[in-house]
Amino acid sequence: MNTHVRQGDQLVIFVKHGCETCQMLEDVVGRIAGAVPTRVYTQDDPGFPSSVAAIDDTSLEQSFAFDIEAVPTLVRLKDGQEVARTFGWHRGDWQDMTGLGDLGTDLPAMRPGCGSKSREPGVHDVLRARYGRVDVQSRPIQLGAWDDEFEATYDRGWSDGLPVVPPTDARILRMLDGTSRKANEVIGEVPPNLSPITVEKVAINAVMAGCRPEYMPVVLAALEAALDPLFTMHGLLCTTCFSGPIVVVNGPIAREIGMNSGINCLGQGNRANATIGRALQLIIRNVGGGRPGELDRAVLGGPGKYTFCFAEDESDPTWQPLAVARGVAAGKNAVTLFQGDGIQGFLDQRSRTPEELTKSLAMSLLAVGHYKLCEFTNAMLVLVPEHYAIFRDAGWDRARITAELHRAMIRPGADVIQGAHGVGEGIAVSRRNEMVNKFWPEGLLIVQAGGQAGLFSAICAGWTGGRFRTESQPVTREIVL
Amino acid sequence: MNEGILLRDPTAETASALRPRVEPLDTLQGRTVALMDIGKMRGDEFIDRLEILCRERGIATRRYKKPTNTRVAPREMILDIAARCQAVIIALSDCGSCTSCSTHDLNDLDKRGLTGVSVLTTEFEQAFEAQKATIGLDAASVYVSHPMQNKTTAELHRSADLAFDAILQAITAEADLTPRSEAA
Repeated sequence: MNTHVRQGDQLVIFVKHGCETCQMLEDVVGRIAGAVPTRVYTQDDPGFPSSVAAIDDTSLEQSFAFDIEAVPTLVRLKDGQEVARTFGWHRGDWQDMTGLGDLGTDLPAMRPGCGSKSREPGVHDVLRARYGRVDVQSRPIQLGAWDDEFEATYDRGWSDGLPVVPPTDARILRMLDGTSRKANEVIGEVPPNLSPITVEKVAINAVMAGCRPEYMPVVLAALEAALDPLFTMHGLLCTTCFSGPIVVVNGPIAREIGMNSGINCLGQGNRANATIGRALQLIIRNVGGGRPGELDRAVLGGPGKYTFCFAEDESDPTWQPLAVARGVAAGKNAVTLFQGDGIQGFLDQRSRTPEELTKSLAMSLLAVGHYKLCEFTNAMLVLVPEHYAIFRDAGWDRARITAELHRAMIRPGADVIQGAHGVGEGIAVSRRNEMVNKFWPEGLLIVQAGGQAGLFSAICAGWTGGRFRTESQPVTREIVL
Repeated sequence: MNEGILLRDPTAETASALRPRVEPLDTLQGRTVALMDIGKMRGDEFIDRLEILCRERGIATRRYKKPTNTRVAPREMILDIAARCQAVIIALSDCGSCTSCSTHDLNDLDKRGLTGVSVLTTEFEQAFEAQKATIGLDAASVYVSHPMQNKTTAELHRSADLAFDAILQAITAEADLTPRSEAA
């Protein structure tokens, strides 16, 4: 470092009392300040270092402005522009930059410093929002000093009923760091109002849902799947039925972001499961305008409309993951969105063979929607490990299980036509002489998930839109990181 | 009003940042209007006159009085108004704390489905607008001249007379609000 302090040069030093290296340099800093025009900024203690009148930077504004990553940092300015910088204690560098050749000769030649307080977890985002160039485009909502920000979000109708995390600039910027996509990129048009949505609006709603930034790629993929016309999100939101989007996550990202595919994975308690599904619902509500009682006309709705998101258990190599079965390359990350209701428990602790279990599952699957309705809805079967083990041990894979289940649900039309067995509901009378499938061949999705103990699988009934076989289908979308 | 936290709008921003208030009633016939006295001095004299003006038009009213203008209305009062009335007139705010508290009362009743209006003095128009913004409700207001504390009772009644049509128009879309005696 070939530098010499000249007229007009100024030094800037950043220190913090909590750093042992900074403490070691207390006299050195005083010596420099006595010899060269110097500004010393202290990050944590206005009285430190005692050798010089330091400038209080406990707000970290200057530390942010100088983009300080470690302390001590020595910066040399020439005509106000930075021309040299060093951090930690490297005696030679400090001597060169200050022009004081005998500086710190009684100290070790080198000693590393500490992290800058402005770079502590979460701090930089707050500083960026407070002092940096904030490029958030969404309309600012200024609250009063005495307003409760949580109540404010309720008052504005932004909540699904549970508290939301207030979307501040710092949180939004942090969320946007979770994706490489630009904040102003338009993802699509959100029903029912068909309002355009940017990545920034996704981030705001993800903040409110409680997501971490690393969930953003999953939220974005889920939204893109929901906006695929084939998913018919518009009808799904406005329907009088119970249904909403059920999000199944496949691939290594599920483990990386800590999703639950095991015990209680369809229930509460996991942040990623809970908030990714919730973010999608908040987007539909806030950007799309899909609010219950207005355009969301569900006669009863269901708890899954707060959030319904989980990961598939891919730990058993004999099991083909859902996304792979739906065309995504193995090892890739993907989301599958299924238009479904809450769960119907399937209890079978007696079946020991795959044939027994198939017949047993078929009995419960036939109840989806209505026992006598066929090719009217799709269904998702969440097969738990102990049930799957019965199939696996007999050599049955996903394709075999799916085919056998479909076969076990074929019934004579005469049994399920309208009016049969004294029940008005049922399939068209004209199909009396047909053998009838319960679901379309592609309409039964099987996912493996759940804890290792318990012979209790789950059936999620599909939405009635599934009767339009080519018009409304589940959608799988690869997650782009 | 001091600034607090700044949030960003999560919506498509196709609508106002303020939540629309409950629509005015089609008619006041067969409905009951709550006359909420915020508890500030002299407000009762103003509301006395509103009550008479309502009676002259055959509008049923029910009087309420907050124990203090410096707090929001007691929960029991809000529940009673929501249960018995279909509209509310809140009067008369002529200070900062009563403007803030009464706007929260208006918001509370709006969320319970009551159309309402706040009557304030002109000096507090800006405070009301600021409170509306932070609450997020596109609340209705009618202003009377400031100050009011040094007015005579007759002058306060005159203020009520002048403001009455605007007050009614804020809570009902009914076209004919002529007093019964005049209509006859």
